[in-house]
Amino acid sequence: MEAIMDILRKLYDMTAFSNLIEDPAFLLMYLLAFVLLYLGIVKKYEPLLLIPIAFGVLIANFPGGEMGVVQADPQGFVTLPDGSREIIWDMPLHKVAHELGIMNYLYYALIKTGLLPPIIFMGVGALTDFGPMLRNLKLAIFGAAAQFGIFAVLIVSLLLGFTPQEAASLGIIGGADGPTAIFTTIKLAPHLLGPIAIAAYSYMALVPVIIPLVVKALCSKKELMINMKEQDKLYPDTMVIKNMRVVKIIFPIAVTTIVALFVPSAVPLVGMLMFGNLIKEIGADTSRLFDAASNGIMNAATIFLGLCVGATMTADAFLNVQTLGIVVGGFCAFALSIASGICMVKVWNLFSKKKINPLVGATGLSAVPMASRVCNGISTKYDPKNHVLNYCMASNIAGVIGSAVAAGVLISFLG
Amino acid sequence: MDNLGTGLTLMLVGMVTVFAILMIVIYGSRLLIQLINRIAPEEQAPAKKESASPAAVDANAMAILEAAVAQITGGTGRIAKVTKI
Repeated sequence: MEAIMDILRKLYDMTAFSNLIEDPAFLLMYLLAFVLLYLGIVKKYEPLLLIPIAFGVLIANFPGGEMGVVQADPQGFVTLPDGSREIIWDMPLHKVAHELGIMNYLYYALIKTGLLPPIIFMGVGALTDFGPMLRNLKLAIFGAAAQFGIFAVLIVSLLLGFTPQEAASLGIIGGADGPTAIFTTIKLAPHLLGPIAIAAYSYMALVPVIIPLVVKALCSKKELMINMKEQDKLYPDTMVIKNMRVVKIIFPIAVTTIVALFVPSAVPLVGMLMFGNLIKEIGADTSRLFDAASNGIMNAATIFLGLCVGATMTADAFLNVQTLGIVVGGFCAFALSIASGICMVKVWNLFSKKKINPLVGATGLSAVPMASRVCNGISTKYDPKNHVLNYCMASNIAGVIGSAVAAGVLISFLG
Repeated sequence: MDNLGTGLTLMLVGMVTVFAILMIVIYGSRLLIQLINRIAPEEQAPAKKESASPAAVDANAMAILEAAVAQITGGTGRIAKVTKI
């Protein structure tokens, strides 16, 4: 009889039920995973990222499964299953895989090293066309104004008691650029990676809700009716691009060189973005590299990034007050970035004869190309003939460079 | 208070850097465009025209096409151009 009870107890311990009874917090994490899966699958909120993240959350929260990421404490110590403590940086990767499971192996090899975000940026570059920005260079400046939200939220979260590193990672959500936010967080506050990635990608998915909200609060109908094409006809630009192909090929090389000279810490992001763009613009000669960067490599990187980011959200790392702060702070950063872009257009319009539609300012935060599409939707709602898409893309793409530079500044000052 | 100082410094440095870099990108690109306009002003026209030469179909096929068009349009239609796809 005793022997049978013993076997049953062992069986009970083997399943995840024992852990669930001990720590019901896991149930909340499953719920979160299911909600995220629902948002990704049914509501189609950034499904390419949200679904891997959500599934990562799910598999990370079965304690016996060893799929949850074990965060090192500030001194770099992790607790191994046998109770001993070791410095993670001194452990060879195969030992990490053996002692802590393959998810930790992936996390420490691909994420913690900062490898995947630049790789994804390469793919983003390969899928980006800088043409609209080159045709409307002046509008690119609004991509800078819209980075204000990052720093405003940084100050507020410092006052709320976050450390400067955590505050910077929180603020960078306002850059509306997933890989940038993840890259900055890995460098500055890796223990917050999960909630920050979720907040960044969720708000990017919510761009169609957030932008109209802010635009309605700040812009009049008259401003939204400003027709950029008419303005172009009234005050034509003196610059004509005679050979777009050559410009597009030299542009990524030139931008990388300039940014690398001024903000070297932004090079992993900007450099890879521009490399991806270069192999796209060269065309037939590098078409195989372009294909790899924009398809195979990008897709594989997205899968691993999503799963690993999800796996950082174990119950004890996620369920705390900080997460709530990140969700609220991230939203403020996002809204403030949109608002500051709009405000800069308003100031510009005070002094310039050639008026600019404030929607061009609203797209200064990255979230390419969704922000531009949403803004085009708003403008055509007021005037079906008023398409601002190309103008919005100019500030939109500049916003990618802007947020990467802002991330570079934060990393070099606080890293 | 110390934190506020750090935050404000970061904001100042960050925003100035972002604006400066984008200004450089904007004016640098203008310069680049002007330079390229001067050095390599012509975009190479794609060499496509040849395929649209009159010999897209031979005379025999042309006669058949003309007859077909005349039949369908009751003699009012005419073939202006035949292009190979």
